[in-house]
Parts: sequence; C-alpha cells; structure tokens
Amino acid sequence: MRAASRCLLAIMVCGISFLSVAAQCPKRPDPGTVVQDALSLHSVNGVLNAELTMRHSVDVGGFNHYCYNYQTSKGDVEAPTLRLSQGDRLVLDVKDRIESDDAGGMEQMDPISTSSGKVCGDSGKMMLSSTNVHFHGLNVPPTCHQDDVLTTLIQPNTPGFQFNIQIPKNEPPGLYWYHPHVHGFTEFQVNGGAAGALIVEGMDKIHPEVAGLTERVFVVRQQYLVPWVPGPYQLTVNYEVADSPSFPPPVIKMKPNEKQFWRVANATIQDFMPLQFWINGKPQQVQLIALDGYPLAKPRFEDTILVPPAGRAEFIVQAPSQNNEATFMSLGYSTGPTGNPDLEQELAKIDVSQDAEEAPAKEIKAAEATPRLSMKSIKFGGLSEQNPTTLRKLYFSEEFGGTNGPIQFYITVDGQKPVVFEGNEKPVITTHVGAVEDWYVENRALETHAFHIHQIHFEMLEVDGKPVKNQDLRDTIEIPFWEGPGHPYHSVKMRMDFRDPTIAGTFVFHCHILLHEDLGMMHKILVLPK
Amino acid sequence: MTTSLEFSLVRLTALLICLCVACGFAVGADQPHYVVTNDDVSSILPSSLTFYTVEASGLLTMKGKVSTGTGGIGGGYFAANRLNVLHSGNADCVYASQAATGEIEGITVKTLKVSGHANGSKKDTGASNGVGLAMNAQHLYASFTDSSNIGTFRVLQGCKISFVGDITVGGMQGGVIDGMAIHGDILVATYGDGSIESFNISGGVPVSNGDKQNSTAFRHSGSYPSGIDITKDGHFAIFGDTSTTTVIEVSDISSGKLTPTVVYRPGKGINSSNVLLSPDETLLYISNNQWGRISAAFFDKSSGKISEGCFSGVLKGYVTDWSYLASMALREPTGTGGVVYVAEFGAPSSIAEIAVKSAGGKCTLTESSKSPAADPNSQGLLSIGAFPPRSF
Repeated sequence: MRAASRCLLAIMVCGISFLSVAAQCPKRPDPGTVVQDALSLHSVNGVLNAELTMRHSVDVGGFNHYCYNYQTSKGDVEAPTLRLSQGDRLVLDVKDRIESDDAGGMEQMDPISTSSGKVCGDSGKMMLSSTNVHFHGLNVPPTCHQDDVLTTLIQPNTPGFQFNIQIPKNEPPGLYWYHPHVHGFTEFQVNGGAAGALIVEGMDKIHPEVAGLTERVFVVRQQYLVPWVPGPYQLTVNYEVADSPSFPPPVIKMKPNEKQFWRVANATIQDFMPLQFWINGKPQQVQLIALDGYPLAKPRFEDTILVPPAGRAEFIVQAPSQNNEATFMSLGYSTGPTGNPDLEQELAKIDVSQDAEEAPAKEIKAAEATPRLSMKSIKFGGLSEQNPTTLRKLYFSEEFGGTNGPIQFYITVDGQKPVVFEGNEKPVITTHVGAVEDWYVENRALETHAFHIHQIHFEMLEVDGKPVKNQDLRDTIEIPFWEGPGHPYHSVKMRMDFRDPTIAGTFVFHCHILLHEDLGMMHKILVLPK
Repeated sequence: MTTSLEFSLVRLTALLICLCVACGFAVGADQPHYVVTNDDVSSILPSSLTFYTVEASGLLTMKGKVSTGTGGIGGGYFAANRLNVLHSGNADCVYASQAATGEIEGITVKTLKVSGHANGSKKDTGASNGVGLAMNAQHLYASFTDSSNIGTFRVLQGCKISFVGDITVGGMQGGVIDGMAIHGDILVATYGDGSIESFNISGGVPVSNGDKQNSTAFRHSGSYPSGIDITKDGHFAIFGDTSTTTVIEVSDISSGKLTPTVVYRPGKGINSSNVLLSPDETLLYISNNQWGRISAAFFDKSSGKISEGCFSGVLKGYVTDWSYLASMALREPTGTGGVVYVAEFGAPSSIAEIAVKSAGGKCTLTESSKSPAADPNSQGLLSIGAFPPRSF
C-alpha cells in the first residue's frame, strides 16, 4: 500500500521539483571548490547548548534539501559539528519549521501512528514534515529527551523540543552523528542532507598517533531526486557535490607530505563506500584509528576501508610530495541483483600545496599535554572476556510482489514469522540489563544489508562462520547479499553488551539502508532493568 | 449386395475421415501460432503488443507490432497478467491492458489490428502496478490495482468489449487486487497481503463467495499468494507465492468456494509469483522471479499434491540484461507444452525459450542455444501469452 503511495508521490514530486520553494536552507557550496569543515560547536564548562531548526527547500536542480539550520551572527549555517567531552551534557533544542505546503504533494504520504500511543514531545501522527533526532552510536538511554526514536516527535511550527543528554563519562572518544529517525520518512530528510557530526573528544588520549595532526571532518551524504526510485544520485562531501566527471571534484587542501587525521561519516541513505586514498592512481595505506566512533584496540594500516551506510571511519592520511596527484576515492560496490549499484566516485581531489592552511581545520593538541586513557576504561571494554548468556539468530530477507512493489523488507528473529515493523508492535526480543548475548545475523536476501542497533556497540566475532582477525566494536555492519540457492548465506556473529543499566528500555535494530528501515526492516528490543 | 453396400459405406466413411483429417490439418496449418507480449513501457512512450511466430523448432521470430497508444508503466506486479487470449468458436482475440490509462484493447488475431477497446470507471487504472486480466468467452475481468476494483466487461463479437460494472475488493490486511484466474462460475483472486478470496461470476459481475481468508503459508511463514492457475476440472486452485523461497499453495475449490490452502515447497528457488499448469496437468511451471531460473514441479491432478521436479540453469542475461522473470506461455496447447517461454524484465526485455522433457518421474528444463528472443519493443516485459492457448 505504501509502495503505491510512494510511486504516486514520485510522480508528483517529479512534477513539482522545478517549482520554487522558498530557500529556507543555506546555499550549498559550488562544485570544484575547497571543502570546508562544518562549523564546530564546543561544550563550555561541561555543557553544549545549541538550537537547530529543521527547514526544507528545493534547489534549482530539483533536489530536496532538509537542513538543520544553526543561527550565527553571519547568518544560518547547516548541520554544525557538535563537540563534547566525556561526561559533558548536550542540551539541544530542535524546532521543526518545514513548510510542507510548499512541497506540493509530499503530504500525500500516509501518516503513521506513533508507537503504542505513547508521546514524547508533540502529539499527532508521524508525517513527512515531522522530525526528531537520533544520536547515532551514542551509548545513552533510549528515553524521552535522550535517544528515543519510537515516541519522540517534533511537529512543524510547534515550540520545539529539547534533548538533554549526559554523555557518559566512559563514552568512547570518536565520531558519532545525528539525523532524523521518523519511521516511514527518515530517508527523505537524510536524503535531503539532514545529518551532522557529533564528536566525543579525546581520541588522542587513547591513540596518541593523532595528536598534533590537523583534523578534518567529512560528512558524505547522498542525494537522489526521488530517493526510492533507483537511478542517478549524487554523493556530496560536506554538501559539495562529488559527481565527477559531470562536475569538478571537491578539493581538499594538504601540505606536501602532511599527515592529517580524517574523520569520515557515511551519512548516505544507502551507499556502501569502500574508501581509498590514492597517490598517482594507486591506493595508499592509511592508518585506521577508529570505526563507528570506537577506537580500535590497536591502530592498523589498511588500503581499503569499507564503510557501510551510517558507518564511520577515522584514519590518518599522508599527502604526497608536491607534483604528485592524490585523490580520495569511494570504489564501486555490488549490493547484489536486487540492490542498487554503488558506483565508483572520486570524493575529492587533493590539492597539495604550501598554502593548505587556508582550509579551516582543527589541530589536535600534542599528546604530551594529555593523559592517556586505557581501552578497558571506556564502554564495552573487556567485552571479549565476557561469557555470553544467550545466542540468538536473526536474518534479513525480502519478498518482491512485483518490480514496483510490494516489497516486504524483513529482519526476523529465527523461529518467528517474518513481519514488517509496526509502531505498535511488541518487542521481538526481550532481554535484561546485565546480559551479554551473541547474535548471529545472516542475509537471505539478494541484496546487501547494513545491520544497526541503537544504544550499544557490538563486538565483531565472526564473518561467514570464521573468526575475524580484528574484533572491532561497531554499531553498523554490512552483510553481503546471498548469491542464491547452492550458495551459503553470508553472516556475521556479534557480541551484544546489555550490561549498562542506563540503556534499559525499548529501542530498535534495523537495516540502515534507510528505505528498508522506513518500509519496516526494523524491530524493537526491550532491555528490562535488572 | 450387402457386402458391396457395406464395402461402399466403409469406403465412403474412410473417404470422409480422410477428408476430415485433411481439413483438420489444413485448418491447423492455416491457424497462426504466436507468442504475444504486452510491451509495457513508460507511459510517455508508445505501447504495443508484439506477435512472434512460433517456429517448428520452438524459436520465435517477430511477426508484427500492434500499436496501442500510450499508457504503459514499465513494471508492476508479477502476477497481474496484462494479456489474455480468447480462442473460442470464431473468436480469436488477444486482449491487453494499458496500466496508466486503464484501457483494455481487443486485437483480432487474424488481422493483427486493434478492433475494440474500453475503459472501466474513472479511477480504474493500474498506474503503479498494472492491470491484470482473466476471461472466458462471455466476460473479461480486469484487476485495477490503483482502485482495487475488479471491472467486468462483456465480450462482444469482433474482439470488442463493453464495460459492465465494477466491484471494489480488498485483502484482509488492506492489500489490493493482485492475481486473478477463472474457471466456470468461479473467479479466484489474491490481494498481495497474504489473503485470497473467490467470487461467483455466474451472473457476470463477481459476487463474493464469502470465503476471504489468509492463506496457510502466510499465517505460518509470511509468504503471500500472488499468481493463480486452476485445474481443467475446476477442482483445485493453485497459488504461486511471493516468497524468499519457492512456495506453492493449493486450495480445493470443488465446492465452489476456497478451502484452506495446503502448502508445498517444491525445491529450491527464490520467489514463485507466477505459476502455469502444463496442458496435461502433470507439471506446474514456476517462474522463480528473483532467481533467474524457472522450475517445474510434478502435479497430481487427482489429489492436488505437488512434488519437487526440476529447475533450469540460470537463464542467459540474468543480472546483466534483465533482472526479473515473470509470466510464462507454452509452445503447444497439449501435453507438457513442449517449450516454456518466460518474460525477462529488462530494458529492452527478452523472452527465454526453455525446452521441457518429462518422463518416468523425471524432468529437465533446458534453455535453447538461441534463447532468448529479443523483445525490443518492451522496456519492462512482464506478461506474455500464447495463441492458440491451452484449452482451460
């Protein structure tokens, strides 16, 4: 039913895409210019106060923009980077000023009832013009005013909503991100660019390799004219279009032989990005520091870092000497017979020059000035030494009733009936605080999926039944597509840590291809207090 | 005398038989033998039907294209048959639907010209998922997936039709009309949401038999019936399920109503939305829409039981040239059908040609070396048919 509505909507959106919608969102950078980091907002005396206003506009190319506007003395800027330290408090006011009337047929989408009738924030049904915020990766409570997406709703033209989140004192230093998570409509707003970085400072305390380096934060986004219709799309780097050869590539400035600490968030709606840093067309080794906001146990060198949608990678790159060409690449990636192709794309050209300091960037303090943190002192430390209390098996699957739908996207606990997510459903998994569980997730679909769970990170144990070399902590992981009968399902095995009493409550796990999530490839888990 | 008379009668009878057989051969020789495609394309492009002559080898050569204006969509439900063939008495017609406009065209097979057309009521279109057709010699039924109406059209001479009326239908979970099949006075429908229903069509316009129900496989494992075929004697309705595996459900409809379905899982495969019984009802052909292969399951027409048969190799061009398989047609209206033709959804599309062999409880499905036949007029082929059709 919803698929049909979406197709009708697609026609309407295409039809109105050239209509003028008041430019509520800031102008985005021109192609081929130097990539600028987003404005950073720092906590002061342990508190970061900020106000973001969600707005919407359509650009001259017909792309819908959804923007988290932050007001400065020089005008609005989009999606600032929120910077906090362990133990800080984030007080974030969010207002919804999406002028839906200007968006033509968008309100034709079927509204969706909020979960179980509970309301956090504004009442009413979830609509395209509704919003909320998920703090992706943060290990904080799934409760109202913190990181709850099941009942939190911010409706247009209401006074707004305040998030008040205490960053745990043992929160892993790293790159997180924030984005809307209104079930059924998440893809629209993220496709429109509604996503920003959130950094918990202190990576240099664990990995001094980054100390003294210039830090860059790159948020890669993806924009389709109509996000659920397979077709051409554009990637953007900090909102600058990376779509060569149609447009000149974004430019990143570095000094000759300079090392920089890059923090890259994959804020695309569905692009799996195998990242590489090329010099003269050859991939180079980069020093991987953290994945999904969690520091690696030990930094390691890689020439390709696969970052699924919603994943993050933090790594050190070294520019070549002058007169060498360097590029930041996302390679092509096959998502299977029924997935959309992810094409190779030059994300940026590296301009190696002595005037590289022109690009505003942050320099991380020298390591000597900061004490070190041990891996054991941060959340999930020592997880591999825990004995799991439960083994669960889940699987992704898809049913296609036709080429245009209905497509049923399922994530199912083995033994239960495959059903799509409904807001009023009961949790499909119930566990309790203190539990440590091993989850085995396989992909029975002909399309790659990206598993994500809110509130916690998980430790990677196995891929396709074989122990992984690096037991990284992740919050999002790809599971490749099934090649079909006669081939085994691809799978991952992960250790889930529910020991933290602050995460008690109901939250969700889902595929982070956002269309899949919106169409129900998601379910609830209830963690009972001890 | 008696002997002479008897001898003369025998000779006369023999002569008459010979004449009849010769005439029969002559009629058979004159009768065209086609595979027909409903060339679904985007609504901004002109749509058509393409007639392919079936060669003795089973290969297809293009005979001609019949333009039907604009109104396709280039995709939609696998199980909505957008094309139906009438071969009854003097009526040799192909009826085809245009998804975006909801118009139904009648094409005279002899002339390959559009002879009639009609629309349902104002909202009767299938702009998102197509318009399926099912028919007998008296009425044609159209499943309008936008309005979820079943439209009834009277079949008139000369491949013309006239609109009689609509009924609005819907599944138990809110699904819209998907697949349809008819036999005698019963019309069976699926709703793409796990539920099925039958209707009495003795009066023309369908009247629900009050048997709407969720299928057994839907209740237990979440797959949902889509395509339908009905046995020659009307005893069983067979459902091909949209599923991550191959799931077939069979309902005994000998009482004139649906009974709870019995679930079969005949072998490997991904998705089984399109099903087609062989003319001799020994095999059930299954289009594994997302597997790039077709399957054949053994069917016992006395019990309705289904058992594992065989499957083809991966058909040529899967993934590179086309992405889904959809409806099927047969070369012969008798026996196993000899060759299965299956629609390959691509831009442009194609038609695979798969030879069938079945003996001693074993079967093979082998794609012809010259397969597939190009269908350059289609950007999203889902529906094909054969003329002359199977007798039921």
